Amino acid sequence: MTSSLDQKISRRGFFKLTGAATAAAALGGSDSALKPGAAQAGTRLKPGFESKYTVCDMCFNKCSAIARVVDGKVQKLDPNPKFLKSRGMLCAKGNAGVRQQYDPDRLKYPLLRVGARGEGKWKRLGWDEALDLAAEKMKAIGEKYTRCGFMFMAGADMQSTFIHRFAKAYGSYNTLSHESQCLIAGTRAFLDTFGEVPIPDMLYAKYCLMMGANRFEALVTPDSIDMMTAMKQGMKLVVMDPRYTKTAAKAHEYYPIKPHSDMAVMLAIAHVLIKEGLYDREFVAEKTYGLEQLAKHVEPYTPEWAATESEVPAEVIVKIARELGAAKPAAMIYPGRRSSNYRDSTQVRRAFAIVNALLGNWDRPGGLTAARMVGLGGGVPLEEPFYENNPADRVDAGRATLMFPEEGSFKLARDAVLEANPYPVKGFFCYHSNPMQTVANRAKTARMFDQMEFVMVMDVAMSDTAWMADLVLPSQYYLERLDPCSAQQGSSACACVVMRDPVVKPMFEAKPVFWVMRQLANRLELGEHFNFSVEEFRNAQLKDLPGALEALQKDGVYYNPSKLYGVYEGRIYKTKSQKIELFNQRYADMGLDPMPVYRKPAQPEADQFRLVVGRNAVVTQSSSTSNSLLMEFQPTNHLWINPAAAKGLGIEDGDWVKVASPAGKQWIQAKVTDMTRPDTVYMETGFGVLSPQLAAHGRGACIAQVLVDDFDQISGNMAMHETFVTVSKEAA
Amino acid sequence: MLKRSAAMVLALIIVFSGLGMALALEADGNSRKGKYLFRKSCRGCHAEGQQAKDMSPVDMTQAQWKQLFSDYKKLPCYDKWGNVPEKDVKDIYSYLYGHAKDSPSPAKCK
Repeated sequence: MTSSLDQKISRRGFFKLTGAATAAAALGGSDSALKPGAAQAGTRLKPGFESKYTVCDMCFNKCSAIARVVDGKVQKLDPNPKFLKSRGMLCAKGNAGVRQQYDPDRLKYPLLRVGARGEGKWKRLGWDEALDLAAEKMKAIGEKYTRCGFMFMAGADMQSTFIHRFAKAYGSYNTLSHESQCLIAGTRAFLDTFGEVPIPDMLYAKYCLMMGANRFEALVTPDSIDMMTAMKQGMKLVVMDPRYTKTAAKAHEYYPIKPHSDMAVMLAIAHVLIKEGLYDREFVAEKTYGLEQLAKHVEPYTPEWAATESEVPAEVIVKIARELGAAKPAAMIYPGRRSSNYRDSTQVRRAFAIVNALLGNWDRPGGLTAARMVGLGGGVPLEEPFYENNPADRVDAGRATLMFPEEGSFKLARDAVLEANPYPVKGFFCYHSNPMQTVANRAKTARMFDQMEFVMVMDVAMSDTAWMADLVLPSQYYLERLDPCSAQQGSSACACVVMRDPVVKPMFEAKPVFWVMRQLANRLELGEHFNFSVEEFRNAQLKDLPGALEALQKDGVYYNPSKLYGVYEGRIYKTKSQKIELFNQRYADMGLDPMPVYRKPAQPEADQFRLVVGRNAVVTQSSSTSNSLLMEFQPTNHLWINPAAAKGLGIEDGDWVKVASPAGKQWIQAKVTDMTRPDTVYMETGFGVLSPQLAAHGRGACIAQVLVDDFDQISGNMAMHETFVTVSKEAA
Repeated sequence: MLKRSAAMVLALIIVFSGLGMALALEADGNSRKGKYLFRKSCRGCHAEGQQAKDMSPVDMTQAQWKQLFSDYKKLPCYDKWGNVPEKDVKDIYSYLYGHAKDSPSPAKCK
């Protein structure tokens, strides 16, 4: 490769940036948290304001925040300096949350479709009318197609637990979440190696190799903040990514790895660690299973071989392996979060997990830590009924080898629904999720909705998914809601609980989804499963945590000072061998590769590019691209294309181009930049909006329209980066 | 959080492991029905505040559940089971085995 990306990038003076976050974290004291100015952004508040704790809902991280309320209206949001998981930080998206509360495009009352699906013709309904209709449809579909004929989908929301509860009470096994778009391959891989999914102890790491993650832009707390602090304390960060992300820009070293070759590099690192005896011998001997098999397995995976696959030089791979070996056990391959990349993403992440195991970093400072005890209960128990006439399993069961039965796979469920195999699914309820924007192959998602007899969507705005619905219900915004408690894991930062009380009165006719589920349950003779209030549910969650409610009310967060390191001392690992599995016995029994095998991946043809997708620190997919404040930072998306490739196609910066794949096509302006490889183009998520009731309508292109819907064969995770596109200079 | 009653159940395994294999159950029953039947048939006693230890699939490994059910008629509580049909026992076993602590899909809650 000849791009300027070949040069090793030196780190920049970014440590200055850590100042605000650490200063905020340092503040506190017993009664300072609710006082403005502790971590304020400079906005002047009117006298007489009130301060109320809340929990941000602008992404999945759920950061504790403080709402400053004047005359019953939220004037601004501040971080909660006592909230250690975010290190007292509230990000740009979090600060912008107040705009959504008062967004004129919010859904205001229930709407019934009266035109063709997606045509945008609606009739206003009263709540009773809307709920009667929904209950009638749910009853009819359940009777005609069995209760599994109705599918439920809920996003990462503090009330989503009530959708899952309702689905169980109603009797449908077909529940979906965002997870099969996002992270289940990584979850599968680490669960099948360590017996649980680790939380990285970034703050105390001395060395971090990050691949398949962009933690300075795709924020995860406390990792994003801790990574800066750890670097200040001397941690070395090495980033490999086909794209020059902001994380790459801040790294000590950056290598523009060829896409889909992470496993090759990882196997070569394992090769060097074993061959040079750099792995943690005592740890591996005592706590892992399969070193002998692994040593033999990685023998042919030399750094020289990996260099030809990845375009990361062999001497770099050797150097990184040696540096990891020297820094162990406070050295890690960052586990990452989104793993919806390739057909073998579980095995790619297994390779990450295996190298971590060789470094002996499990359950130790600066390594990968186990889930800490939080102690939050499951709330009011559900007496889940059983319906004899239901089919045996989920509609997508058996379509991936080791799918999680509670999560399933959106891609595979959609395929099953379109094939009506093994049974028809004719009803869909979606809450706080937007598959029309986020799921690869939007045309297929639209076809799935077309074949449904009833689609109901509940959200705060007319999302692209709501735009396809028969019935649209207005949801309360998070600042209006009383929500259950939520447990959070933050490694050295905390094991904690947060909860959300209403900060302001609900606007328009918006309701919480708990109320909707309860109303529907009553109409469907399932009321016994929802005969409690949210407060009662919360009390049941907190029953084993004396003092937690008081702490939550006083500080906005409850901490459980539970054990962080050495959690596994005297305990077995939850794997078949009861050890950390370098060699996975269950995989071997099932005919899967018991250790990751590198198979030369398909590559784009000469006139094609691999499409990769991602996001930055000011948007969370489609849920925030219409936020007027964030739009000032990110008004649209572009197609990143390398100058050498652009030149060959006659494309100049700012030109409109057509991006086409077997799934579909979109028109978008090109950003000609050497921040992506010549074989790779990049688009950000959340644009190309269909719904004209969103401010982002008419801006940029939609990833879901062009991404091909392949899937990870083991977990059923979507495999978005298997998409090859052509790019041509062509006006829309 | 889940209570760990593994020690108690392990003791049961030790007691009964010498009694031979009366029944070789396969974990190919209806696990979803098994979850329901487990609650109906077992949780009456095996629950917090009840006469027997709280119990969940993640209290044991698949091997331990297999061992326990290999001779379930000799479990101390078997006389309290009533007339649970063998098919139901198989469904319950499929649920417990399928969501054991070392299974591919450990149970998340009781």
